[in-house]
Amino acid sequence: MNNNKTTRALLGTGALALMGLAAAPAQAADADAERIIRDRCLACHTETGESATPFSRISEQRKTPEGWMMTISRMQQQRGLVISPDEKRTLVKYLSDTQGLAPSETDGLRYLLEKKPNVVESFDQLLQETCVRCHSGARIALQRRTEDEWKHLVHFHMGQIPTAELHAGARDRAWFDIALTNVAPKLAKDYPFNSDAWNSWKSAAKKDLDGSWAMTGYLPGKGNFDATLRVTKQSADDYAVAVEGTYADGTPLTGEGRAVVYAGYEWRASLTIDGVKVRQVLAASADGMALEGRMFERDDEIIGGSVKAVKGNAIAAVTPSYIKQGERKVITVSGNNLKGNVKLGSGLKLISVVSRDSSRIQLLVEASSNARVGAKDVKVGRVSANAALAVYDKLDRVEITPSESIARIGGAGGPIPKQKSAYRAVGYTAGADGKPGTDDDLRLGYMPAAWSLKPFDEIAKHDNDIKYAGTIDRDGIFTPGDAGLNPERKMSTNNVGNLTVVGTVQDGDSSVQGEAHLLVTVQKFVTPIIE
Amino acid sequence: MKLTNMFKRAALAGAIGASALLAGCSTVNTEVAQTPDTINGMKAGGHEYILTVTRPNQLHIVDTETNQLVRTCDVPGIFGNGGIAMSPDGRIAYVMTNKWEDVYGFDITNCEIKFSAKQSYDNVTVKSFISMAVSADGKELYTVQNPVRKLSDRFETMAPRLAVFNTDDGLNAKPVRSFPVDRRITKIGSMQNGEVILGGGDLKAINPKTGEMRMIKALQNWDRAPDKWVPPDAFAMHTMGEHVGEFIMPYFTIRWNGAPGDESQADFLWGHVRIDTETGKVESFETVPFEFIVFNWVTDPNDKDVLYGSFNQLSKHNLKTGETMGVQAMDHTYYNINMTGDGKTIYIGGTSSDISVHDAATLEKIGSIQLTGDMSTSDLRLARLK
Ligand code: HEC
Ligand code: HEC
Repeated sequence: MNNNKTTRALLGTGALALMGLAAAPAQAADADAERIIRDRCLACHTETGESATPFSRISEQRKTPEGWMMTISRMQQQRGLVISPDEKRTLVKYLSDTQGLAPSETDGLRYLLEKKPNVVESFDQLLQETCVRCHSGARIALQRRTEDEWKHLVHFHMGQIPTAELHAGARDRAWFDIALTNVAPKLAKDYPFNSDAWNSWKSAAKKDLDGSWAMTGYLPGKGNFDATLRVTKQSADDYAVAVEGTYADGTPLTGEGRAVVYAGYEWRASLTIDGVKVRQVLAASADGMALEGRMFERDDEIIGGSVKAVKGNAIAAVTPSYIKQGERKVITVSGNNLKGNVKLGSGLKLISVVSRDSSRIQLLVEASSNARVGAKDVKVGRVSANAALAVYDKLDRVEITPSESIARIGGAGGPIPKQKSAYRAVGYTAGADGKPGTDDDLRLGYMPAAWSLKPFDEIAKHDNDIKYAGTIDRDGIFTPGDAGLNPERKMSTNNVGNLTVVGTVQDGDSSVQGEAHLLVTVQKFVTPIIE
Repeated sequence: MKLTNMFKRAALAGAIGASALLAGCSTVNTEVAQTPDTINGMKAGGHEYILTVTRPNQLHIVDTETNQLVRTCDVPGIFGNGGIAMSPDGRIAYVMTNKWEDVYGFDITNCEIKFSAKQSYDNVTVKSFISMAVSADGKELYTVQNPVRKLSDRFETMAPRLAVFNTDDGLNAKPVRSFPVDRRITKIGSMQNGEVILGGGDLKAINPKTGEMRMIKALQNWDRAPDKWVPPDAFAMHTMGEHVGEFIMPYFTIRWNGAPGDESQADFLWGHVRIDTETGKVESFETVPFEFIVFNWVTDPNDKDVLYGSFNQLSKHNLKTGETMGVQAMDHTYYNINMTGDGKTIYIGGTSSDISVHDAATLEKIGSIQLTGDMSTSDLRLARLK
């Protein structure tokens, strides 16, 4: 508990090392990796004599690159493993490639790898209550183990955190017995070491990811962008990356960096874009033609957003993704090799082409006043973006994402910076039933909003949280208050607070509001590689 | 009032504050011991002292007559949980230290170390969660041990056990007997009949000669309709009650008066089980409303129907009727409470570096004792030096 700072710093270095420069050529690396295991790990681990699972504890689990990084970092920091940064990188690469997860095994859980903030998890009750208390459930669901290995993990927790069975939510039940006899076997069934998904993915030929990609995305404070991502292979799974594009407001964007691909699809890149260090955590599709995930600032992971890149002939994005009946506005289509005629759905009239090159077409479009409400396909030559442009009659509902969020006070000369939070407004029209909030609502996409805060409840109002907890800017970025006790507040509490974030979207003469909950709380003293 | 699980958690999990000041302060405690013979200059003959442990790792002895710190002993090893168990003659304080692993017995009149035991051995790490008690005759020390074997590439959680030490074995004592016990035991006490009370999910007693166990009061395994009662959450870290010769086990439960889960019709209750360590008599109550977040409770020696609790408030309750008799706001969170045998003065400690002293009749704050470091989750024990 009292060396929090060290832990944080070390884990930080670990995470960076993963993103750092890449691996040696493949075959050499495999032999290298096994030698490293023999040299470095067998001081404590043993050879089992089984060719399929040669090393005790090491060979009967599979996990993500971040998962392997976390384990090996613990070996270093807490068990006494001595290993060079180069050897560690080689080993993480090798273990992620040979004992990784199939793409489908990460479905619905990538938020953890992408460091996406404020995801509300929900696992089955047994797992949620027994395990999802100190860390995310995705940390668990992104691993595959034999039943024995799940059991070893339960024993590990008891040795590592001796009070685990005494915490609230554990001491009112036989926590250890439940974990060992109920949870571990269930995990072995739900997240088994042997899976068809992994066996077939592991033996499938992997596509090289070099070439020219059309990338689109969003960064809080900057907005939407589209860019060309030029990817050049250096050696197996190791790429040089250059990016060049523009934000929606016309500001240019340029940068370059390096990417390493783990398990044939886990793209981890570190780039410097316009002087800011950023990370990309993306997954390549099986056909090697799409990359999807999140890009975020290295030093402020909250500041990030979804990105998508496509290769070959393809449309990457249509922005804005909505147009109102009777409205005339510029719509941008971005992608790769955009050649041929532009076709919009019925009710949409192409007034003029404002500008055009192979990666970006700006169109002046008008929706007729009786255009059918619905999502229309946008076609350029032979490629189509399905349901990419929504025609609507009226904005009926605004949703603020994330709907539940946490920001943390910090700074003020202390060692831990403030943890901000960032919001976006998503518009919907009610759909055929005329009722907003039902299944047939039509999603229009992200819309610009005006941002404000209000107290979440009576207590927050009484404690005047709004005055102390922080402020929200015009881009929807909330910056929390300073760390430390505030003598102005009741019981000299911190600048914590319970707030509602309000986003107001203008729709013609009327406006529609959406709300999200924001809890401003204290610093987190240990930041793990994976939550 | 509504209480969600989360609120309960937030409240009970409480963070540990930090600040350290050194100052003196005193109040008058009128009653004087009849035969004030002294031991090494300390008033004896049943004179009362309050003991606690602070970071980095010191045992402090406070005179309840003057509210002055009379002695500070350095405890070997890294701070643990600050657990303390007193010998019946009030002279030896057994302190749990070194990340909840080692026990040292201090002569509180001169800080001399009379006893020590390192519980971990070979590749087995042994932790005790406060659970520590001395037999009524002072000859044996009991701890509940939670061992984990640390093999070269895996950990193996072993079954917990009651370890028995001879207090006469002095330094580097080893357990002379041990018996299997339940998991999650945090609070133990000894009875005049020789049994050791085990406070965990349920309340049991074990015979430390034979290992024979009996149920005193089923809590988590109680036989109540699950659609009427939520199984109790008993979080009892600290043993106390020495001022009146009792062992008190608080727990939290919910009674569903309507449908299970319907908080609007439910009662959120503190339950208390009290065991008279002299006679073994057991009483239990479910009367005090849970709106008072409390870590520890003590009984008024002059009226056993009256109970005091503390956390963010000091409160006074009638255990028979559930009536709240008084509430006093505290200046910060305190985990621990104890009081003098005459029932006049309440000491509230833990968490930070000051012990808050209160008049039991009015609950008003009448003094403050500043220590050299934070008490964190340390015990606050009463020693009657004979
Ligand atoms: C100094 C001894 C030591 C060395 C060296 C060591 N380990 Fe471990 N390893 C342990 C111990 C002890 C455990 C069980 C406790 C734990 O999981 O932290 C363990 C557990 C593991 C586990 C299981 C973790 C889990 O989550 O279940 C893996 C995988 C592992 N080690 C990999 C490695 C690798 C790879 C190396 C070499 C690069 C290595 N270890 C080197 C001592 C060591
Ligand atoms: C009391 C807090 C706590 C609870 C409850 C808890 N964990 Fe953990 N878990 C941790 C800590 C701490 C780590 C170690 C992280 C490190 O490597 O430093 C960890 C690590 C892990 C890891 C990663 C280990 C690795 O090296 O790959 C997995 C998987 C995991 N826990 C699963 C579980 C499961 C399954 C449960 C429920 C049976 C559970 N956890 C309950 C605290 C907890």
